[in-house]
Amino acid sequence: MRTLAPGRRLGLLLIVSLLGFGLLGPWLAGTDPAHQILAHSLAPPGADYWLGADHLGRSMLARLAHATRLSLMLAAVTVASAAIPGTLLGILAAWRGGWVEGGLVLVADAVLALPGLLLVLLLAAFAPGEFLPLYLGLALAGWVEYFRVARAMASGLLARPHVEAARLLGFGPGYVLWRLLLPGLLPTLGVLAAFGLGSAVLAISTLSFIGLGIHPPTAELGSMTTELLPYAYEAPLTVLMPAALVFMAVLGCHLLAGRGRA
Amino acid sequence: MNAVLTFVGLQVTSADGTALVRGVDAEARPGQPLTLLGETGSGKSLVLAAAMGSLAPGLRARGRVMLDRTEMLSATHSARRALWGRRLATLPQEPWLALDPTMRALGQVAEVYRLVRGMPAAASELEARARLAELGLGASAAHYPFQLSGGMAQRLALAILRASETPVLLADEPTKGLDADRRDEAGARLRAEADRGHTVVCVTHDVAIARALGGEVAVMLEGRVVERGPAETVLQHPSHGYTRRLLEAEPARWPALPPRPAPRREVAVAAEGVRRSFGRRLVLRGIDLCVLRGEIVAVTGPSGCGKTTLGDVLLGLLRPDAGVVRRLSGVAPWRFGKLYQDPPSAFAPHQTMRQALRDVARRHGLSWAAIAALLERLRLGPLLLDRRPEALSGGELQRFALARVLALDPVFLFADEPTSRLDPITQGEVSTLLGELAAERGLAVLLVTHDAALAAKLADRVVQLRPCGAEC
Amino acid sequence: MGRRFLDRFLRPVLMRLVQPLLVALIVGALGFALMAVLPGDQAFRLAAARYGPDMGDAAAAALVRQELGLDRPWAVQFLDWVGRLVRLDLGHSLVTGEPVLQELTMQLGYTLALAGVALPLSALLGLPLGLLAGLQPGGPVDRIMLGLSVLLRAVPAYALGLCLVTVFSIHFGWLPPAGFEGWREFVLPALTLALGLAALSARVARDSVAVVAASPFMAFARWKGLPERAVVLRHGLRNAAIPVIALLGLQLVGLVEGLVIVESLFSWPGIGHALVHAIFARDVPVVQGTALALGLIFVLVNALVDLACALIDPRRARAET
Repeated sequence: MRTLAPGRRLGLLLIVSLLGFGLLGPWLAGTDPAHQILAHSLAPPGADYWLGADHLGRSMLARLAHATRLSLMLAAVTVASAAIPGTLLGILAAWRGGWVEGGLVLVADAVLALPGLLLVLLLAAFAPGEFLPLYLGLALAGWVEYFRVARAMASGLLARPHVEAARLLGFGPGYVLWRLLLPGLLPTLGVLAAFGLGSAVLAISTLSFIGLGIHPPTAELGSMTTELLPYAYEAPLTVLMPAALVFMAVLGCHLLAGRGRA
Repeated sequence: MNAVLTFVGLQVTSADGTALVRGVDAEARPGQPLTLLGETGSGKSLVLAAAMGSLAPGLRARGRVMLDRTEMLSATHSARRALWGRRLATLPQEPWLALDPTMRALGQVAEVYRLVRGMPAAASELEARARLAELGLGASAAHYPFQLSGGMAQRLALAILRASETPVLLADEPTKGLDADRRDEAGARLRAEADRGHTVVCVTHDVAIARALGGEVAVMLEGRVVERGPAETVLQHPSHGYTRRLLEAEPARWPALPPRPAPRREVAVAAEGVRRSFGRRLVLRGIDLCVLRGEIVAVTGPSGCGKTTLGDVLLGLLRPDAGVVRRLSGVAPWRFGKLYQDPPSAFAPHQTMRQALRDVARRHGLSWAAIAALLERLRLGPLLLDRRPEALSGGELQRFALARVLALDPVFLFADEPTSRLDPITQGEVSTLLGELAAERGLAVLLVTHDAALAAKLADRVVQLRPCGAEC
Repeated sequence: MGRRFLDRFLRPVLMRLVQPLLVALIVGALGFALMAVLPGDQAFRLAAARYGPDMGDAAAAALVRQELGLDRPWAVQFLDWVGRLVRLDLGHSLVTGEPVLQELTMQLGYTLALAGVALPLSALLGLPLGLLAGLQPGGPVDRIMLGLSVLLRAVPAYALGLCLVTVFSIHFGWLPPAGFEGWREFVLPALTLALGLAALSARVARDSVAVVAASPFMAFARWKGLPERAVVLRHGLRNAAIPVIALLGLQLVGLVEGLVIVESLFSWPGIGHALVHAIFARDVPVVQGTALALGLIFVLVNALVDLACALIDPRRARAET
């Protein structure tokens, strides 16, 4: 493992702390995120509620922690579902060429004909407020990027002398794939995935904010903002918290990705 | 348009005070070119940059650079810039990068007439066409730089400089990145500029360029001029040890290689009537060639005549369209190996040499001891093993590539210009090694090279390929 | 050889022609499926949409069923559905009963107006800053710009919009938080959209300017003796513009996404807002029409960006990396 640049280290730190918050938060809060005590509506941060309570008197700490974990997990699953098939198909296309490549490129171009969010929205229309269409839409729109990058890079690598040299030295396709291609692709794909993670967190919370993502009462960072918005005067800090967490998560992902990509 | 460029005690220091150029005295006059000869890092390019006034920020120059009566170092930036394109001009390193990628050849020449010399548009274009035609680029006026070959891009850059007609012409590594068969052309062209009355200063690592240019030669080592004098004297009777080493590295001057035993009467590979084309372009037309074990056959010829294709066909990397390739029967395919022109690209960038060699040993059940012995034979120290390609020199990488191939006990080796990207002294070492190994191991070698002297020195036979066709 | 042919020639030309059809096909398929999974009888729904909720009786439904051929095999119905879509026969809204095309034309005007203000605004905000930063990479402007761009791009667009509303409408009371009566209503949505886009375009402009400024061809242009003005105008500008224009294609994705979010946030009566509302109301013809419109705008502008790239950059026929 080579040392990370300071900016990327900061990004990693942010993500790890948010993950820690998501995992440990519910335990720290000691209460269910759905547990309402109306008398404590909009309670300010204090000894009982470390981060205060929302309009229904639910613990913000518990809700934020659940929401953070949900966002990061869903984003990670989405990115993995886009990155792994995308990469493998990209390598397959570069390797086989011919009609396999032509067909895959055509499918990728077809997906690119629509902006990603539109695809997600159309799928979300089938069952607004549920996980599955959101996940499917994000993964379906996301794999193309990995496919295109993996295909372009793998074509370049396969044409390089060191791959030819390996074949001449008696190495089989397995060696070329695992020891020459994948290690060459991974750094770039890692950057792509870190960016993808940020975009997914952003997309999930944004869709939930406009009511097309995950619906209340499930705690979700975007929909929490919508829910709390009417109380912006009484408890401005509480309203800010969910959006601030989205900001931190996305910032962490972008920093982790580094400045290699604009 | 006569002008004399004089360097007096020129020094260049970096921001932290490191001396990069430690006192250069030299002079270039019309028709009397000056060549600064030295390897990468000798500070020779900084001398040019100081003369031009284009030193990177942070570098400081002291001493004097006189263009006739003007002192250049103390002049303001705008005063020096006013001389650019009027009194002195630079032929850039790797001209294909120095041309505007989005402008046609004609426009890049014509704008000098219009914007520097203030001619009307129509006349500028006419003049520009004439300059392009002079340099054999008449048909490329409407081409963009990416449509030109390396040699053509250099001629275009030269056409641009001719348009400005500056008395002083500076050339920075004019052969860098050019195919070997374009190098002599570049040298001759600079000589022609000097003969037209220009004051030429050329910076190069290539002894052949210094010889072609004539005039005065200053040999640079670690920021100093170690030897200076007329080209004939310095290049015929060098007095400094470094100059001698530099000259001895030229293939023509290599000491005779130890005699090799006669090749065995055993054919390693043979081509019979091999034809091959790419798309519509016929590259090989009925080639007959055989290489015996222990024999080195050199293939020479201009770029694009199918030298590499021939080797790849013999290795089985390419299928011939017609004809037969015979290889020694009963020998495993991996005992037919290849050395590449660009050594760094022959290794996976993320693997250390140890990983690469261990993988080879593992794949073929070889002991590490056998590989270690080979490394010692090739004078590759164990410290180099844990480096990645980026941290190794071209010569070291080429020797690692040789070790990797030799580990499999090859019968045939296709060496595709294995030394053309190496600096001269390393080139000699690697070539000698190749000759010795062919003799020791009964290795059949097909050596592709642009360098006739190298071919003559190393090979038992030389095959001349002409574009599309062969002559054995 | 095959790959180059595919990438360089066949794909771009083919895709330009096929993409609008593909958009229609994908949107049509999803719309068709949506219609099929809606609860209740389709014919009744369509009849109600067409003749008003009071007239949606069995007779009307039978008429619609026969007219639209809802009793045919689904494959035939699907082809018919897509065929109508391609002819821009978008049907009627299930909610208002108005023809979708008519609603679309009105919404399109609002959306284009918003985009027309936001895009130049983002260029105005992002490009000069990127230019300044790129001229001195590592300098103070560059570092401030980089920090701003990273921070800004991590802020969700809705949060950015809410912040702007809080500051300019609620705190200072300068600008209306929503609505669409005059220019003042444009400011906040356009600014929200533009800031997000500018964060990206400033970065791209910065990188592009930095690369060109340090390039050997700029140095050679100076060595030729060209005056600085000519160096920048003749050689610098065009080369630096290529990545920035190619970026427009990428920006477009951001623009379409941003439009949906910003229009919803500010209740802007454009296509994005209509799409989100139609999804809530499960108004399939409107969902389909708005998605089709957004998709076609996307394809069209992408084609224009590619064309622009090919015009100023002789090296590629299209903006493809």
